Amino acid sequence: MTADALRRPGLPRLLRRILHGRGFWPAAPALAYLIVFMVLPIGTLLLFGFVTIERGRIVGDSFTLAHLDKALHDTLVWRLLWRSLWVATASSLLTLLLAYPVAYVFAELRGIWRMLVLIAVVSPLLTSALVRAYAWLVILGGRRGILNQALVSIGLIEEPLRILNTDWAVLIGMTQIHLPFMILPLLAVLDERDRRLEEASANLGASHTETFFRVTIPMSVPAIFAGLALVFAVSYTNFIVPQLLGGGNYSTLAVQVYEQTIVVLDWSRGAVLATILLSTCFAFVLAIVAFGSWLARWNEVAR
Amino acid sequence: MAHIVIEAVSKRFGANQVLDQCSVVVEKGTVLTLLGPSGCGKTTLLRTIAGFVEPDAGRVVVGGRDITAMPPNRRQVGYVFQNYALFPHLTVADNVAYGLRVQRRNRAEIAVRVAKALDLVALGPLAQRYPARLSGGQQQRVAIARALVLEPEVLLLDEPFNALDAQLRLAMQIELRKLIARVGITSIFVTHDQQEAMTLSDSVAVMRAGRIEQRAPPLEIYDRPDTAYVAEFIGRANLVPVRMRGGKVEGMAIAAPLPDGMATLIVRPENLRLLTGPCDGWTGRVGFATALGPTTEYEIDIGGGATLRVLAARRAGEAVIQAGQAVCVAVVDAAACRVLAGNRGDDG
Repeated sequence: MTADALRRPGLPRLLRRILHGRGFWPAAPALAYLIVFMVLPIGTLLLFGFVTIERGRIVGDSFTLAHLDKALHDTLVWRLLWRSLWVATASSLLTLLLAYPVAYVFAELRGIWRMLVLIAVVSPLLTSALVRAYAWLVILGGRRGILNQALVSIGLIEEPLRILNTDWAVLIGMTQIHLPFMILPLLAVLDERDRRLEEASANLGASHTETFFRVTIPMSVPAIFAGLALVFAVSYTNFIVPQLLGGGNYSTLAVQVYEQTIVVLDWSRGAVLATILLSTCFAFVLAIVAFGSWLARWNEVAR
Repeated sequence: MAHIVIEAVSKRFGANQVLDQCSVVVEKGTVLTLLGPSGCGKTTLLRTIAGFVEPDAGRVVVGGRDITAMPPNRRQVGYVFQNYALFPHLTVADNVAYGLRVQRRNRAEIAVRVAKALDLVALGPLAQRYPARLSGGQQQRVAIARALVLEPEVLLLDEPFNALDAQLRLAMQIELRKLIARVGITSIFVTHDQQEAMTLSDSVAVMRAGRIEQRAPPLEIYDRPDTAYVAEFIGRANLVPVRMRGGKVEGMAIAAPLPDGMATLIVRPENLRLLTGPCDGWTGRVGFATALGPTTEYEIDIGGGATLRVLAARRAGEAVIQAGQAVCVAVVDAAACRVLAGNRGDDG
């Protein structure tokens, strides 16, 4: 469609603003979509935690903090929150440790190899997280799991390890599933980094290792923290992986939200837990971002 | 005493022979400029000395040590990058301290040496700034302080004025010349700007296709270019095809030890003058005149599509000779001319 066609009088002014406008106008459709299909439903859902529901109906004028009060005095909630926090933190850090070398190697590669690495990084995103969690079930599963069979048959261990239904299984599964979210921001930044800075570092006497820790890593701090924030948020709120790989007795805050809402049908408690999950997630992500930008305060100056 | 010796260094990138048996020697405490157009291999030669480029053949010796196979971080060769390559995540003081921290010097020593280096380039007050908050000239001084604080054997500078605007450039050139003289460090500059080469160095090496074409002190290379290439690169020159007869340029009082036949006369624009009457030189017409104030630059058509550039001094009130007027172009000082064998003296 050409610009001339857009100027035809018949075309509504709103559409024209969206297509050619300045400021926030081009973002208006996405904004409207998010308000209707995300902000309103979530708002409604969270509201359920602060009203009384009887026989599937909200009792009018029944605003109450009782559910929240009850949840905050429930040691189980605090235990689940703590587990969600440490699983997400551990998984984010593990993801970073695994992702950094991949992104670094990618930046060194040329030609076809780059393409292959990129495909390998992105391809897991093409299958659903549920399918991947099931795959881990097969790999890690009990006595006949692929991992245990392999380890026993090469004689590394005698008894099968108990990995499934432990924190480890959850951590392994989450880390693998969220790896692309860490690799992609790192890859973009490491690939575009200024190699002359590394030459300058070598010229000033630094070895490869020293240059890596003194120049390459500090320069990628913004990407590291973008990745950490992203992976933390998706790990903290993931309920499929803990449910499938953690076993029946394993629970996190996100799993509880799911169970209270879908299984127990206690919507009020589900909604209150969701409120806690969402607000703490926001707080932690903000803390990560704030710490990252404090570390990379030189980056603010550069803009 | 020879401080930097480059011996028959060759480097090929793919099909491109960037350095071709290139040799050059720099005396201790002197400043050499590698001058040439882009692609002549000058930056590659500098990077070879710093160890960023591994030569295919040849030797690099600095201060008596053969450093050809040494990794860049052990060479103790100061390098100032074209865009300075300051670490954006470190303050000015931390940039300068970088090399000392790598050497694990103690805090007190680092503080003293950094302060001294910053004083040297008059940047003390800006020690806590990040590089992004500095002007181009200030960034250049940080880069120099960062290199000098380690007391390197030699200092290499890759087009250090490229990132600066013209106004600042000249001031910084003189500033840098003084600084290097004060420190007394053997230095190599790379530039494509001949004026910069003249300002900065004790000696100029003109590079062409991976080799040094001529190497001499700035004025000598200007006065006595060995080849037409050098003559055209350093300053401006008229290359005029002439015929030799009996050891003289035909029709002129210019002597040269060349056999009879075609030759090329190299004459600087300021060594020519315009006469309205007949003279023993070239007759032609003024094609174009540019009044520059203290001088006037003329382009004279001397027939056969050839033009001569003449730079004439001008007294106040003197009029410019108008285009189209017939003139005679004469050589002022025959001794200041160069005659090279061959037509247009293609390769000296």
